[in-house]
Amino acid sequence: MVELRGCDPPKNLDEYRDVFVYVQHKNGKIERGSLEMLGMGRELADKLDEKLVGIMVGSDLSKVAEEAANYNCDTVIGIESPDLKTFSSVPFSHFISETVEDYKPNIFLLSGTREGRDLVSRIAIRCNTGVAADCIELDADKQNRLLIAWRPSFGDKTIDQILCRKHRPQMITSRPGSYKLPEKNRRKEVKIDIRKVKVPDKMKTVRVVEFRPKETLDLTTAKTVVSGGFGLGKPEGFKYVEDLAKELDGVVGASRPVVDLGWIPYDHQVGQTGRTVRPHLYVAAGISGKIQHLVGMKDSEFIVSINTDPDAEIVKYSDFYIHGNLYDALPKLTEEIRKRKSGSKNKV
Amino acid sequence: MALKIVVLIKQVPDAEEIFIDPVKFTLNRSQARGIINPADENAIEAALKIKDETGAEITVLTMGPPAAETALIECMGRGVDKGILITDRVFAAADTWATSLTLAAAFNIMDDFDIIFAGESTTDSGTGHVGPGVAEFLGIDQVTYSVNTKVEGKNVIVERSLEDGIEVVNVPMPVLITTLIGSNMPRRSTLRMKIDALKKGITVMDHEKLKLPPEWVGIKGSPTVVGSLKIPDEKKREGKKYEVEEIPKLVDDLIEKGAIKIGDA
Ligand SMILES: Cc1cc2nc3c(=O)[nH]c(=O)nc-3n(C[C@H](O)[C@H](O)[C@H](O)COP(=O)(O)OP(=O)(O)OC[C@H]3O[C@@H](n4cnc5c(N)ncnc54)[C@H](O)[C@@H]3O)c2cc1C
Ligand SMILES: Cc1cc2nc3c(=O)[nH]c(=O)nc-3n(C[C@H](O)[C@H](O)[C@H](O)COP(=O)(O)OP(=O)(O)OC[C@H]3O[C@@H](n4cnc5c(N)ncnc54)[C@H](O)[C@@H]3O)c2cc1C
Repeated sequence: MVELRGCDPPKNLDEYRDVFVYVQHKNGKIERGSLEMLGMGRELADKLDEKLVGIMVGSDLSKVAEEAANYNCDTVIGIESPDLKTFSSVPFSHFISETVEDYKPNIFLLSGTREGRDLVSRIAIRCNTGVAADCIELDADKQNRLLIAWRPSFGDKTIDQILCRKHRPQMITSRPGSYKLPEKNRRKEVKIDIRKVKVPDKMKTVRVVEFRPKETLDLTTAKTVVSGGFGLGKPEGFKYVEDLAKELDGVVGASRPVVDLGWIPYDHQVGQTGRTVRPHLYVAAGISGKIQHLVGMKDSEFIVSINTDPDAEIVKYSDFYIHGNLYDALPKLTEEIRKRKSGSKNKV
Repeated sequence: MALKIVVLIKQVPDAEEIFIDPVKFTLNRSQARGIINPADENAIEAALKIKDETGAEITVLTMGPPAAETALIECMGRGVDKGILITDRVFAAADTWATSLTLAAAFNIMDDFDIIFAGESTTDSGTGHVGPGVAEFLGIDQVTYSVNTKVEGKNVIVERSLEDGIEVVNVPMPVLITTLIGSNMPRRSTLRMKIDALKKGITVMDHEKLKLPPEWVGIKGSPTVVGSLKIPDEKKREGKKYEVEEIPKLVDDLIEKGAIKIGDA
C-alpha cells in the first residue's frame, strides 16, 4: 500500500536558516550551473543575512570539496561513501533529504541539469516542500525571508512568479546558463565537513553497466552559433553551415527536424527540447522560426536569418535578414568575411 | 504472467495555439486544442514496444478535466488496454507535489505493476517533477531520460541520455522510467481500435475513491503558488532586408554594429 499524506508545513518557519546549494561534480570538476548557483546563493544569503552551504555527494570528495570552498561558501558538507561514486536517485536523494531535515535550511538551490531535475522532486516530496522549476531569475524578500523565483512557462511565452510561503526549505532548480559565473573567493573561516555514510543494500539496486561518452559540444557558452534547418534540404548542406561557423569561430546549431532526420547529432539542437543559447551572434539558415525554436535563441544579442520566404516568422526576430537561397548566401557570406579578415591582416 | 505497465500521460494545450490576450494581459489556454504531451507519446510507444515483444497489459493514467478522456481513448486506439481518468474539482490547480500524491494514490486501487512510464516533462509547465515524485511516493527506483528500455527477466536495461553521454543501467522491477522527448516514433491509432475503446470505456476516479481528503490535494495541498505573471520584453528587431548581392553591404553593417569583429578591431 502507498502511504498517503498531505504536505504538512512546519510549525516554526524561523527555525529554517541558510542557503543550501547542491554542488554537482564529475571527475573532480564542478558542473557549471552549480557554480552559477553558488554565486546566486551567496547573493541571497547576504541579502537575508544567512550562510551559504554547499552540499555534495560522492566517493572521494576531499579535493572537489576544497574547490567548492573557493566559491564564497561558509560551509561545505560532503556525503561520502565508496557506493556513491556514480549518481543514483534513491541513495543520493535519501542522504540529501536526511541532511536537509537535520540542518533545516531556508533555501535550497539546485542546477537544473538532468541530475538536478532527477533528484529535486524526491527530496521535496520527502521533506514536505515545494519546488519552483527551471528558474531564470531569483530574488529575496528580506522581511518575510521569502525566496522570489521566476520561471518561464508555455514555451517561454510568460514568466511566472513562484512562491513557497509556508514550507521549507524553499527549493528551486535553475535553468543553467541564465546566471553569472561567480569569481573565486575563499572565506577564511570556511568549514569543510565530510561525512562518511553507509549505503544500505536495498539502495544499491540500480547498477550502471556501461557509459558511452559522447563528444561534448557546449552550445550554451559559444559566442557565435550558426544554425541550419530543414531548408537545407539535404544533410550535405551542413558543410556550408560549418564553413561559416568556422570562419566566425563559432559552433554549429540546428533545428529539430534535421536532428530527428539524423543529419546532425542531438547536441546541436537549439530550442525548447534542445539547448537554450544566447550568443553574441546567431545565424539561422533555412529555419522558419517556429515558437519551439525561437525560445531557444531569441535572446541572442544579434540575429541574422537567411530564408527564401520573406514572410517566415524568423524574419521578425532578426536584426538582419538575407532574402535568398542559403546555397548562394552562405558561401557568399563566408567568402566576404574571409576577404575582410585577410584585408585587415594586410593592413596591419 | 504478462508484465503490467502503467503509463502516466497529461493532456496539454497545443503550444502553437496559446496566445496572450493583449487587453486582459492574461494567457489564453482554454481555446487551445488539447494534445497528448509530446514526451508522453514516447512513453506510450515505449510501453507498446514491450507489449509487442514480450506481451504486457498496459494501463494509461491521467489526472485532468473530463475532456482528457479523448487522450485516453487515443492511447487505447494504439493498443493500450485500459484507461483511467482521475478527475475532480478538488484536484484543480495542483502543483507537482499534490499531482504526484494524487497519481500515487491510484496505485492503491490498481493491481500491482512492473513498470511505470512517464514523460521527461511536459510542454506547458514542464517541471519534469511528476515522474520522480510518483516514484518517491511509491518508494521505487527511477530511471530518467531514457531513450531505450529492454526487459531482461525480472530486470530492465535502460539507456539514459545524459549531457555528456549515454548511461546504461540495469534495474530490477518495479521501476519508474521517464522517456526523453523524441526517443522513438509513436505509432498511430486505428479507427477500429478507437471504436472498441469507446465501447469498452474508461474508469473514472475522484478524491473519495482515492481516499484523499480535499485539503491534501489541488490548490490546498500544494506548497507552491503561482504569483504574478510577466510577459517577457521582446527585443524589437528591425529585420533589415538584404538580397544576396548585397552581402558585402551586410558585412559592413555587421561590423559597424559590432555583431562581428574582424581582426583586433
Ligand atoms: C513539443 C515540441 C518540441 C519541439 N522542440 C523543438 C526544438 O527544440 N527545436 C526546434 O528547432 N524545433 C522544435 N520543434 C519543432 C518546431 O515546431 C518546428 O517544426 C521546427 O522548428 C521547424 O524547423 P525548421 O525551421 O528547420 O523547418 P521548417 O519549418 O520546415 O522551415 C524551413 C525554412 O527554410 C526555408 N527554406 C527552404 N529552402 C530554403 C533555401 N534553399 N534557402 C533558404 N531558406 C530556405 C523555408 O522558407 C522555411 O522557412 C518542437 C515541436 C514540438 C511539438
Ligand atoms: C504557469 C505555471 C507554472 C507552474 N510552476 C510550477 C512550479 O514551479 N512548481 C510546481 O510544483 N508546480 C508548478 N506548476 C503546477 C504544475 O503545472 C502542475 O503540478 C502539473 O500538474 C504537473 O506539472 P508539469 O506539467 O510540470 O508535469 P511534468 O512534471 O513536467 O510531467 C512529467 C510527466 O509526468 C506525467 N504527468 C504530469 N502531469 C500529469 C497528470 N496530470 N496526469 C498524469 N500524468 C502526469 C506525464 O508523464 C509527464 O510527461 C505550475 C503551473 C503553471 C500553470
